Amino acid sequence: MTRIKQMLIIGGLAYGSLLLGACASTKPACDSPQARDLARAIESVQASLSGGCAAHFDRYYDDLLTIAEGDPGPENKQAFSEFLVWSSDQGLLSKRQAQDYYNRYFNVKFMALRGDYNNCSHTCPNRQRVLVDMERELSDKERGLLRISLDNQGYYRADELYQEVELVLEATCSACAAAR
Amino acid sequence: MPLSRIHARTTTCRFPVTRTLLCWVLACAVTVTTFVSSRAALANTPTIRLFPTTVVEDLRQTGNVARDMETGLQEVIGRLDQQQQLYLESKCRGAENDPGCQRLARQIGATYLEMLGIMEERLPDMEHTVNNTRLSLEKNLRNELGRKMTPWTLQETLVGSAANQSAPAATPMLRGRSGMRLSERFRQYHQLVATSGSRGDQSLAVLASDIYLDMQETSVLIERTRQEIARATLMEELNQSFGIITPEMIEVVGGVKSILFGEDELGAPVAGPPPAYAAPVYRSPLEQ
Repeated sequence: MTRIKQMLIIGGLAYGSLLLGACASTKPACDSPQARDLARAIESVQASLSGGCAAHFDRYYDDLLTIAEGDPGPENKQAFSEFLVWSSDQGLLSKRQAQDYYNRYFNVKFMALRGDYNNCSHTCPNRQRVLVDMERELSDKERGLLRISLDNQGYYRADELYQEVELVLEATCSACAAAR
Repeated sequence: MPLSRIHARTTTCRFPVTRTLLCWVLACAVTVTTFVSSRAALANTPTIRLFPTTVVEDLRQTGNVARDMETGLQEVIGRLDQQQQLYLESKCRGAENDPGCQRLARQIGATYLEMLGIMEERLPDMEHTVNNTRLSLEKNLRNELGRKMTPWTLQETLVGSAANQSAPAATPMLRGRSGMRLSERFRQYHQLVATSGSRGDQSLAVLASDIYLDMQETSVLIERTRQEIARATLMEELNQSFGIITPEMIEVVGGVKSILFGEDELGAPVAGPPPAYAAPVYRSPLEQ
């Protein structure tokens, strides 16, 4: 009788481990999209993200940017916007994150200049860091506006805006410092 | 980093201090014209208060002082030019011990001293008006852009409401300290403001910043120039005893000529955007 019990226990353990093994084998691969066409790549990424790969969002976004660079055009802006809106609707990103992802690459304005405090008290003490952040963002805009969307005018306006901000901040911060 | 972004304000005029001041003189003269025109152009736009009447008055006064100085110097420089020409035509190079050449050299030295004297006489007025302008702009920049604005609102002011529209009207080339002559820079200010009636604030913020930074440099330069004039005057008074034309004098006169009469001065080209893509621009709901 005890031998039967032992056999049952061993059998149960073996079955359990088989079940666990089966679970492990369904873990998503989260591979990068293979398609070279942006629309199909987005579909593939959406499937992956819905299938448990949300943690890889940054990598997927970068993959999509790379694919879009291979097939540039003004319509890519809309494709990325719709993808980000979808991501936000699915709860993968907050609305603010979606805005950051979009504007950093496809808008003239700099997200690095977000801030709720006045320039004298907040921007000027961190001016160098702000400008470094803007410069990094400008290279992302070069990728998004220039290389992906072929929006030369948008990119050069962003570049000009960077220079204007640099000039105006230099003067403004100098004026702020003179009051101290 | 694009080359156009590299600001080279100290290369605006590549001359010794006395000559550099002349750059500022010309710049201020043009500034007045620029500014008076700009007021008319911007009369109908809601503006941040960067250029109240006091600043306009300060600028006008600076321009008047600068114009007086420029006028006075032009005559002296014309004379210097003639004297130098005579010196060269008389083949005095290499014959400095010749009594006639020494006499010519003393005459050139005396005219040079006269030029320094005019500058010395006008500089206190220049210093006063430049400082007034600088302080007025400083206060307005601090209040309007520094304290009333966040970085985001500042950016929106610079971008303007037309930022996201397709194919905005062509704008003048980059303002700012980009290595060109000051007079040329201020001519561009004029062009900018004269054509910016519908854009208003974004141009004004850049213009005010540029003028303020220039005025800051001017103040420093005037101070240094006054010291330099004292030194140069002493040196030239000593040289008068010996009838020597120093290389520095010749260089100064050449520099002054090039500034006043526009000879062989390089205007660094300013980078502008390539022809823009003309297709309608997509507006995302995520766009801010």
